[in-house]
Amino acid sequence: MSNNIFSRKRFLLLFKQHFIHNAQLLLLSTGAYVGVIFIVLSIAQIGIDLKPHGLENFQGFLIGFVTVFGILYVGHAFPAFRSKESTIHYLMIPASVLEKFTFEFVSRIGIILLTLPLLFWITFHVQGYVFSIFTEETFNAIGIQNLVLIDDVPPEYQLLIYSLVTGSILFALSLAFTGAAMFTKQPLVKSLFAVAMVVMFFVGYSYIVIEHLGVGRYNPPEHMWLIPLQEDNALKAVTVALFAGTAVMLFVAFRKLKEREV
Amino acid sequence: MVIINDLGFRYSEKVQPLFQELNCELSSGSIVGLLGKNGAGKTTLLKLMIGLLRPTEGTVRIMDQQPAEREPSLLQDMYFLPEEFHHPSVTIRQYAKANSGFYPRFDQELLKRLITDFELPENKRLNELSYGQKKKFLISFALSTKCRLLVLDEPTNGLDIPSKSIFRRVMAGSLDSDQLVIISTHQVRDVENLIDRVLMLEKGKFIMQKNIYEIASKLHFATTSSADGENILYREMVPGGYKVITPQTDGSSSVDIELLFNAISNGTEKMREYVK
Repeated sequence: MSNNIFSRKRFLLLFKQHFIHNAQLLLLSTGAYVGVIFIVLSIAQIGIDLKPHGLENFQGFLIGFVTVFGILYVGHAFPAFRSKESTIHYLMIPASVLEKFTFEFVSRIGIILLTLPLLFWITFHVQGYVFSIFTEETFNAIGIQNLVLIDDVPPEYQLLIYSLVTGSILFALSLAFTGAAMFTKQPLVKSLFAVAMVVMFFVGYSYIVIEHLGVGRYNPPEHMWLIPLQEDNALKAVTVALFAGTAVMLFVAFRKLKEREV
Repeated sequence: MVIINDLGFRYSEKVQPLFQELNCELSSGSIVGLLGKNGAGKTTLLKLMIGLLRPTEGTVRIMDQQPAEREPSLLQDMYFLPEEFHHPSVTIRQYAKANSGFYPRFDQELLKRLITDFELPENKRLNELSYGQKKKFLISFALSTKCRLLVLDEPTNGLDIPSKSIFRRVMAGSLDSDQLVIISTHQVRDVENLIDRVLMLEKGKFIMQKNIYEIASKLHFATTSSADGENILYREMVPGGYKVITPQTDGSSSVDIELLFNAISNGTEKMREYVK
């Protein structure tokens, strides 16, 4: 009897199907991403008297481009769910729910975290060298390690800061990913709206509790089990919450895929 | 191969159930026609059979598995061609390359033959083809998967007259004895001489489940100039006379499915009792 939970062969077939069906779209999207980076970097360079971009600009643009394009791409995960016909086609593909979910996760979040920064690094250098041909300025290459390096982090906080950044990125992407699994039409807009509503609720709730109910005037004792008082402990608690939130989001997306009906 | 047991289904708690206590058993080696008027629930029943919907009561089992679990071992042996379908913007050849690997019994030679029979252009993108051409390709793909259960929802919708006869020919000539084909249609003429079992659905119930030979052994279909006679179970005026159904006496007529359909859904209780 064949394996109904996960088969490497079927998983690879999903990739093959995805790349054959979407080859044109993927090429166009890559072209658009590279083109936008090239143009924005060029305009920015013209704005600073043609001086080449340095490490600071590299990191700023990297975060900006990967965040915007990453959320746009991940927010359109499960593209089959956008219409009834394509949902039927997708659900009838002979692959398990775990295979389909893992494929969607890897092809969206996994590839995004690798491909978008790498494409940015390449385009950044191409743009820098192209401009150096036509100007007097010299472009200095940025090491590829700078895609993941965070400046000025004390060694004792490195693990914590990297965990916090990774947790934040995964949480934001998994929010968009789960929204795409839940909403049929305009998933990204609806996901952002849902997040805004939740944030507004908690901000309003916290304001009422802290200001009006007097919790803000409460002096807690030195040692508390559940509320971290020191800065690093608070960051650890946030990091754990981000990873836990990511796990919950992904579980919800998995259940949505499993229980989908047409 | 398909066992439906006391199936009940409703879209929500607020609406009347669409099906109640449906029972049916279908075995391999046959082509089943699921007939019913518009809105009778044919497509919903097909979706319940293949696991796109979950029953609210009762069970559906396909090849001893629950289709709603959508396990790959069942999905690779079951192909559903919906009336309205999704297609990516790729050529026929690319589509076959991307999707055939999922079906272990896929027959590339058969696909080539069917594409030739339907005169389809292999190098054109699917979005450049007409609705009928797309449908012909998907019918060809469905048959080439060699899945043991093929479920086709209104397969002849959008096909021109020559294509309908090619459809009947390829259906008859491309199936193996371990396959079961369920064709849902309201265009009963298109599947005449093709199906060997009839399921007729009305108001959430099967009003008839019979093999064609059983029907032929009980009922006689004929065209006459007058509609008088004690034995006539159902009559319908046509140009030049009447189409009538009478009890079978010599076992010589072929089944007129359209007439039978009209007789069951519009005819007398006596007629219904005859084929129950």
